[in-house]
Amino acid sequence: MNFFEKLQALDRRWIYLLVALAITIPLVVVFDSKTYTTTPTENIYQLIDSYAGRDDRAIMIDFMHDASTMSELFPMEVAILRHAFQRKVKVFTICFLETAAPLVDYAINTVKEEFPDIQSGVDYINIGYKPGALYLPIVLGMGDDISEAVKTDAEGRQLANLPMMEKIKNYNEMNLVIETSGSGFGASWFVYARPRFGVNVAAGITAVMAADAYPYIQTGQLVGILAGLKGAAEYEKLVDLFAIHDKPFSREIARTTHVSITDDTVPYKFKAARIGMNAQTVVHILIILFIVIGNIGYFIERRRNKELN
Amino acid sequence: MLENISNLVAAFLTLSIFSFLWKDNPFYRFAEHLLVGVSMGYAIPLVYKNVFIPFLYTPIFLQRQYALIFPAILGTFFIFRFNRKLAWLSRYPIVFSMGIIGMGVPLSMHASVLVQMRSAMLPIMDINSFIIFIGTITILLYFFFSKSHEGVYGKFTKIGIWYMMIGFGASFGYTVMARLSLLIGRIQFLVHDFLKLI
Repeated sequence: MNFFEKLQALDRRWIYLLVALAITIPLVVVFDSKTYTTTPTENIYQLIDSYAGRDDRAIMIDFMHDASTMSELFPMEVAILRHAFQRKVKVFTICFLETAAPLVDYAINTVKEEFPDIQSGVDYINIGYKPGALYLPIVLGMGDDISEAVKTDAEGRQLANLPMMEKIKNYNEMNLVIETSGSGFGASWFVYARPRFGVNVAAGITAVMAADAYPYIQTGQLVGILAGLKGAAEYEKLVDLFAIHDKPFSREIARTTHVSITDDTVPYKFKAARIGMNAQTVVHILIILFIVIGNIGYFIERRRNKELN
Repeated sequence: MLENISNLVAAFLTLSIFSFLWKDNPFYRFAEHLLVGVSMGYAIPLVYKNVFIPFLYTPIFLQRQYALIFPAILGTFFIFRFNRKLAWLSRYPIVFSMGIIGMGVPLSMHASVLVQMRSAMLPIMDINSFIIFIGTITILLYFFFSKSHEGVYGKFTKIGIWYMMIGFGASFGYTVMARLSLLIGRIQFLVHDFLKLI
């Protein structure tokens, strides 16, 4: 039995072990790797940043996932909230899945630890869980009046009485909805809300769905997408590069400047996606090697079988 | 202290699920069943508090909106799915659900078909739009089955197949990335939150 034949008969658990090591070692021994930002991510950042410091503009994050896709989507939510809180952008959060409700609280609290001045009802409103059956009435109703479409927030307070609502009425002010989703990509928002009210829609999605979402960027139905852990890593970098230093966004600087993740000035939770991408890079190289070796073995075996026949 | 206990439980359940990679075992099955039970146990009181109380109990019993009794009764018909003789009653609430789907058809047509078509009909100004143009035409030709895929026509459909293969490859690549991301997330939890190695 030669080397390639042995590989063909290798117990799959050795491969699991190698993959586990290829992921664990880069996570424990953190190294600097470059994160290249892409246009769909930059577009979302740029639009949110344009609302900085304005009381008459807001964004909404729709948490459309449960804990199963948290690894990819949670770092995005944290990065967007960090950007918004740092740049004083008003934020609404909402979810239509029961199991997403604690994730909304978790994301807000994770970021709020670093921003003690941020106040609920003033800087952000967590609408919380609303039943899925009310999805359509809420999406359409917000086009007229947000505080009528969802009367109370997660704490049971009347939305209309909250200070943040003074200058925010409908999609004219809350002009960007970001759906972070493990199963769709903002489809309901750009199917129902965008054609009727002109609201901008963006999507934070798992990598599985990214290829399907790109046609909607080309048509302008989606402002941009954050695709999987890579999208989250890109957004984290943009926040560290510009928002934290209150600098204006520049596409050229974003693409040419490297932000280190090995220093301790940035808390782990704000660079989790970039550290995760280190592991992603190493394991991708390993998988490419597996594919190459597997194919070489396959062709060698096929040629030998031909010769024998 | 509380966080340490919750991390310990989460780490135990994570490792229990991972143990399936070795072989099926009682730890894996325990964690799997616990997940289903906890999800349901969490959802039921949340739905009771956020749906039943504000949208049914309060309007009917406190605000005396008795008209809501009819949709409430209609909703309970779903439960007849489990009774062979009365299962037909469950079709009535389904009809209303389908009505909502029907309402979305025109807007979905607009967003998913018409806007995409319009975008595919723009003048070819750069290399990207040229690539999209060729891809759209050749894939549409591939799915035209009334003519055999031979000769010049067959060459065009072959280009369509290549486009689709590249598309499937991109989707598969993204899928691998997504699945690995999930594993990375769990291992990040183990090494950072639980073992505190970083």
